[in-house]
Amino acid sequence: MVVRQYNEELKYLEKMSPYCWKIKMGFQPNMKVEGVFYVNSTLEKLMLDELKNACRPGMTGGFLPGVKQIANVAALPGIVGKSIGLPDIHSGYGFAIGNMAAFDMADPTSIVSPGGVGFDINCGVRLLRTNLHEKDVQPIKEQLAQSLFDHIPVGVGSKGIIPMNARDLEEALEMGMDWSLREGYVWAEDKEHCEEYGRLLNADPSKVSLRAKKRGLPQLGTLGAGNHYAEIQVVDEIYDKYAAGKMGIERLGQVCVMIHSGSRGFGHQVATDALVQMEKAMKRDQIETNDRQLACARINSVEGQDYLKAMAAAANFAWVNRSSMTFLTRQAFAKQFKMAPDDLDMHVIYDVSHNIAKVEEHIVDGKPRTLLVHRKGSTRAFPPHHPLIPVDYQLTGQPVLIGGTMGTCSYVLTGTHQGMTETFGSTCHGAGRALSRAKSRRNLDYKEVLTKLEGLGISIRVASPKLVMEEAPESYKNVTDVVNTCHAAGISKKTVKLRPIAVIKG
Amino acid sequence: MDEELGGLTEDDYVLPPVKYEYLDHTADVQLHAWGNTLKESFEQCGMAMFGYMTELDYVQIKEVHTVEANADDLMGLLYHFLDELLFLFSVEPFLICKKLVITEFNTEEFRIVCKCYGEEFQLGKHPQGTEVKAITYSAMQIIDEPKDNKYEVFVIIDI
Repeated sequence: MVVRQYNEELKYLEKMSPYCWKIKMGFQPNMKVEGVFYVNSTLEKLMLDELKNACRPGMTGGFLPGVKQIANVAALPGIVGKSIGLPDIHSGYGFAIGNMAAFDMADPTSIVSPGGVGFDINCGVRLLRTNLHEKDVQPIKEQLAQSLFDHIPVGVGSKGIIPMNARDLEEALEMGMDWSLREGYVWAEDKEHCEEYGRLLNADPSKVSLRAKKRGLPQLGTLGAGNHYAEIQVVDEIYDKYAAGKMGIERLGQVCVMIHSGSRGFGHQVATDALVQMEKAMKRDQIETNDRQLACARINSVEGQDYLKAMAAAANFAWVNRSSMTFLTRQAFAKQFKMAPDDLDMHVIYDVSHNIAKVEEHIVDGKPRTLLVHRKGSTRAFPPHHPLIPVDYQLTGQPVLIGGTMGTCSYVLTGTHQGMTETFGSTCHGAGRALSRAKSRRNLDYKEVLTKLEGLGISIRVASPKLVMEEAPESYKNVTDVVNTCHAAGISKKTVKLRPIAVIKG
Repeated sequence: MDEELGGLTEDDYVLPPVKYEYLDHTADVQLHAWGNTLKESFEQCGMAMFGYMTELDYVQIKEVHTVEANADDLMGLLYHFLDELLFLFSVEPFLICKKLVITEFNTEEFRIVCKCYGEEFQLGKHPQGTEVKAITYSAMQIIDEPKDNKYEVFVIIDI
């Protein structure tokens, strides 16, 4: 890292608009393109404070601030356009979380980086709607929360209850949601409302280590821990009546279910294995990066291709995982309301991936180019009329699901044309951490957090009390700030606001 | 994996003192462990990781398993050692460890053999802590200074 005084560092940053900052060339060595990040005045302060802290004399061994990480990504071979930071950005492994970057597939030196995807491959959010109203749920809210908690295995050490053997796993890895459909866990129309129809076709289970498969098998159909959750939410505000209508959201108080989970130990191991392989590939192909954590390989190398195939298998795992929990959620609701999930209109509104790399077509300098788009803590947000979004959303743009944190609101946005040109059709993914986990544990009291949630009328079922502190809303940036920034900057559009009434967590 | 159930001796139940702590990191957690030898700091680091997954007071020593780790350098050795322990927890035998004893600690050929004492993780018996996704090389430090009798390790785990 280049060490300069904070005032010197600021010379490389330029405020372009109230919501957008530019990171100029030279901020970090070898930058091939400029960086950019989207913040409002509140988030801007957090972002610059992080940089200021890192500039203090004697700061060593700590972590790189998000701005520096955006600039390091801008120095990777084959990057196109800009290295982009979304409003929820915070320091992560190699790439910051909330960073997206696209690489030219036609350039033989272009790279793919597991750090640009994250350990939790295809971590994402799924939103189910119901035809229930808040007043239908209120009287049995506690029972419903308990029932969801009993149905969905959560937290560290929990095991899946969907019957699975090693052969089923191989098939699931290859088929993604088609497997879930074949086995009867999802409805045919669920697939339509899922990025890539819930299946990446280039998945190759033979490129996945036995170790990853062993870790994945017992965990399929589990929610996980950390920031993952299942929430019962109600529609709190509708900003765009037409778009909401297309999603089947008709009125305030309508009940929805949001599931936030990923590829569990399977994806974590695929990422770990790839990082080890890529260290070797980097030495061989003499790929220079500013940070050892930005381990990467040329897209066309054996390691690059193997990673993309294994990553696709992990993405499929995640879709099967969220599908299995969709099934369990429908069961829990059906039992409580003694009605079929079909009659409860429990359709999938959409399913987004916010940790993934995908091959996409984009217009760069007026010409169509094929790019490998890395989104880490960033959600695809395609505009109206894009060929890859389902027919139901052709006129509204792709629904973008932004999960809040325990007890805070969540949002549904839609993709915009401006986002397509400015950020390769990408937007934020959630709130983004502001406090460290250890600090949260020290400063927040578990009972206080729970009482506060209770006061807000939120039922909570959590496997780990410690996590309650770490995941408390106080530990995160304000999701409303994040979403408003994306809306004001024009990279996506607010459609619906959801408020939680029950939270299930690891 | 050798399962010497019943073959545990009195000594195996003697618990080591706690020589680890958890340090600040925005999204993840940094393990800091130390000891009278580098070997001890490695053992402590492993226990620190298990301590994040549950409360170790609730864990009993019922079985012992052995893990082996090999690497090309010392940091790699620490990384792979922790990765093996995480694997031991994530798959059969789903072992949560209360005590680790490294029986072979070779810093020339970078090889570790470690006895892991604990029991199968059970919901209901063991409080659920936080899930560890992966071990990282991020800001990893190994302080190995025999002349000052200073042995410490720092590891960030992704959670």
